[in-house]
Amino acid sequence: MSTLLLRLTIALYSIGLLHSFLTIITRKKTLFRVALAGIGFGFICHALSLIFAWVELGHPPITDNHGALSFFAFVIVLAFLISYARYRLESLSVFVFPLVFILTLGANLISSPAAPQKELLRSLWFYIHIPTTFLGYAAFFVAFSAGIMYLIQERELKRKRPQAFYYRLPSLEICDDLGYRSLSVGFPLLTVGIVAGALWANRALDQPWGWDPKIIWSLITWLIYAVLIHFRLSAGLRGRRAALMSIIGFVIVLVTFVGTRQQGSAHSFIQQ
Amino acid sequence: MNLVLVGLSHKTAPINIREKLHFPEPQLPEALQLLRSQYEMRESLILSTCNRVEVLAQTADSPAGVRQIQDFICSFHQIPYNTLQQYLYDFTQIDVVRHVFRVAASLDSMVLGEPQILGQVKTAFTTAQHAGTIGATLNQLMNRAFFVAKRVRSETTIASSAVSISYAAVELAKKIFNDLKGKTVLILGAGKMSELAAKHLGGAGVSKVLVWNRTYQRAVELAQIFRGEAIRPEDLFRHIEHADIIISSTGSPTFILNKADGERMIHLRKNRPVFIIDIAVPRDVDPEINKVSNIFLYDIDDLRNVIDANLRQRQREAQSAEEIVQQEVEFFLEHSRARDATPAIVTLREHWEGIRKEEMARGRKRLGHLTSEQEAALESLTQSLVNKMLHHPISELKRLSRQSSNQEDMATIKRIFGLKD
Repeated sequence: MSTLLLRLTIALYSIGLLHSFLTIITRKKTLFRVALAGIGFGFICHALSLIFAWVELGHPPITDNHGALSFFAFVIVLAFLISYARYRLESLSVFVFPLVFILTLGANLISSPAAPQKELLRSLWFYIHIPTTFLGYAAFFVAFSAGIMYLIQERELKRKRPQAFYYRLPSLEICDDLGYRSLSVGFPLLTVGIVAGALWANRALDQPWGWDPKIIWSLITWLIYAVLIHFRLSAGLRGRRAALMSIIGFVIVLVTFVGTRQQGSAHSFIQQ
Repeated sequence: MNLVLVGLSHKTAPINIREKLHFPEPQLPEALQLLRSQYEMRESLILSTCNRVEVLAQTADSPAGVRQIQDFICSFHQIPYNTLQQYLYDFTQIDVVRHVFRVAASLDSMVLGEPQILGQVKTAFTTAQHAGTIGATLNQLMNRAFFVAKRVRSETTIASSAVSISYAAVELAKKIFNDLKGKTVLILGAGKMSELAAKHLGGAGVSKVLVWNRTYQRAVELAQIFRGEAIRPEDLFRHIEHADIIISSTGSPTFILNKADGERMIHLRKNRPVFIIDIAVPRDVDPEINKVSNIFLYDIDDLRNVIDANLRQRQREAQSAEEIVQQEVEFFLEHSRARDATPAIVTLREHWEGIRKEEMARGRKRLGHLTSEQEAALESLTQSLVNKMLHHPISELKRLSRQSSNQEDMATIKRIFGLKD
């Protein structure tokens, strides 16, 4: 059932993705209603799919590759819907949904392992560790998208020759504000995620801190965002430089998430 | 429906001709009355703006209607037809519908998508209503035209971008700050241009206006207009960091602001952006300042470039607007033809239903008492007879009403069945 629902989810997200692009290209706001319907119903299907998976597996479906991809896509859509409710930016969907589509497609292609979940992963701290980290990453992804929109719009304004993007992207202030707010939501979530991870490791592995690459990269990510938020608050770091840092920060998130899945580290439990 | 339209516009006639044909507002009721009494127009409307003069009418016969309106225009303004001939255009029937829709939707305007024309068309309509020259046909046409204009406005972005210098400045400011509420404008040099730009920004919600000028007295005067604050000539750099938007148009022969000033300003503002509009010639602000992060400098040529780009954007949007107009023209025609045919069909049905009832009554008398079953059988027999007989004529009437060129056939059918118009 959860697999079937996930198939339906990807179909609905495709409609959302397609109509997001059509909205931006044609600038017809009526088209975005279709996109939003696709995204909204897709999100509901996605939620149901996760619930069914939870029931089928008997534990939260976030401990294998299939579940991780699906859940990450889910929290990104959640982050998008929250941003949309606040800012009404149609253009944001064009940046967000290609990744959502790829993640959901990936989740559709990888099947859940039949093996029962490891005892090691059955822990409250673990179930806090994954969702908070993922939600933090989703918020950073929105900040990343806002940063890209900022840089494009800034380039249009500095070049003084308005082209397609000038008309389609929001104002600099909105991009900047969205980026900042996403960071201020994402950073505490990541912090909680890291702490929960350490507490879980302390119990499960009898050591609070294994220096595997993923942990190192997570700390680098955390430090970058800490610096960004610090300078933003104290020295008014904003605009172009803040946008660039949000982009770099998320690139490192991607490295953390994708690039460090090595055997032998604490985090390789997840994929076996 | 017999619609005609005769007129001229900025596309066909120069201003010296257009002004001669202008109908001053007080004379409009009189002109509309004339059209009805002397030129036999059933319904009429006159649209007279600085860019176009058009007479729209519903008449008995369209080719004759065109000539009559041409006569009317010439004699009303006392200009011989020969001099006007080359400037006047005329439309009949479906082309009138399309033209009226395009005019109302501002697709025929000098500045594509400019919003004033719709208001002017509405005023012309109200004037004609008061003069009593609007009937069912023009009422339907004009109301649909207003609807089309609204659709074009909401479904395309034809009118969303600025095409004047001061609006372009406001639009750019909104692309930087999004909302101008709470923002401060600093005006450097108290000239006419800066006054105009500041007025538009004020209209867009700017909260505070600062005015700086070499002669303090003039700054105070201008500040009073905007309920702003005047800045003493020597105090400029003590206040400049508070300005989110700077409009400069002083007569200074050298730069007032250079790159170093910009860097200092941004530092003091903790990187909050500044939008500088330099409309002075020679320029007041060193163009190098645009290289400072978070400063956006536009001079008068840059603003013109933005306007050019916006106009190109409007032209692209005009294509989807033309599609909407085309859809609406088809919709309007289909419905107006259906309206033309419906009375005929209704009369035809009523006529035969009358005959049927009469014959039923007569037959019943002759047949004496009937059981209720027999009664019902007779009823259904006569009804199906009438329906079968009328089936073909009615579907033919419906078919004809959907085609425009069959007015004669329609008339024949009406005559055969003894139907009135």
